[in-house]
Amino acid sequence: MIERLFVWLQHNWLIVALNSSVVSASILEVVHYFSIFMAVGATVFVDLRLLGLAARRQPATQVNAQLFPWVWIGFSLAVLSGFLMFAADATEYLHNSVFHRKVEVVFLAAVLAAVVQVNVAKWDRPPAIAGRAKFWAVVSLLVWVWAILMGVNVPALTGVG
Amino acid sequence: MHGWLFAFCRWVENTPLAVSILESSWAYPYVQLTHFTGLSLWVGTNVYLDLRLMGVGKKRQTAAQLGEELFTWNWIGFCIAITGGFLLFSIAAMTYYRNPAFRTKLGILIPIGIVLHIVVQRKARIWGQTDNVPAIGKLAGLIEFLLWLSVVTAAVLIPYFSADPS
Repeated sequence: MIERLFVWLQHNWLIVALNSSVVSASILEVVHYFSIFMAVGATVFVDLRLLGLAARRQPATQVNAQLFPWVWIGFSLAVLSGFLMFAADATEYLHNSVFHRKVEVVFLAAVLAAVVQVNVAKWDRPPAIAGRAKFWAVVSLLVWVWAILMGVNVPALTGVG
Repeated sequence: MHGWLFAFCRWVENTPLAVSILESSWAYPYVQLTHFTGLSLWVGTNVYLDLRLMGVGKKRQTAAQLGEELFTWNWIGFCIAITGGFLLFSIAAMTYYRNPAFRTKLGILIPIGIVLHIVVQRKARIWGQTDNVPAIGKLAGLIEFLLWLSVVTAAVLIPYFSADPS
């Protein structure tokens, strides 16, 4: 079933057109990288704030409120551009375990970003940020870096992408 | 012309560190990871300030506040990014040296981007004191945003110009 879907995707005229022109293929890549930088930078910065390693003169709630939209805008654009590039080689990714792991880790990173975002206001109570907050901030930070590693591993280890 | 630059590239490519990264079966993805993690902090914190100056996004903090709070990790990100970037360059320095997209990226766009960024970062303290950012501040933010977008574009185009894609 999924194999037929992937074959169909790979032969979809729009997917083929987008990925076979140098201009649109490059735009997809630029959007993918740039939006990842925007998403990762914002989520990592909020994690660093919760750990007391950044922007200590500003409340974590305020730092989070200012930056978090960029996590989800960046993440959505990265997923969209990533999907359009994946679709061009969909069948090659079907049995690519490194790619499967990448998708899982990226999903986990998104869940952790949401956990942090939802809880910041609760954790940010004077005089100190709760210990639990620091735990989740470290986990989120490490998983986001792991997600980048899995991203570079797909072409580096499997030669696809 | 530029003979010394080419000699530098040849030297870099033959340093033990560059050779060991190239010969290692596992090091390359970690060098890429270093570059991209640094870029997430550097490019991210650059453009959050640019967008804030332009009045795009949330307005929970002024551009002056945001610029101040992002400053330290902005430059830590820069240092991480150039460390990773230099190592990536070092394993194929002579190939990169000949690549027009790489030359444009490193020789033109990045120097302009850094200078403009320093100006924007300093001026944001004045331009961004209130929500009424002057037109020059908005324009500077827009130009810096577009410059980093063009740096990423030049980077993406490197393999298209390479006879020896890396």
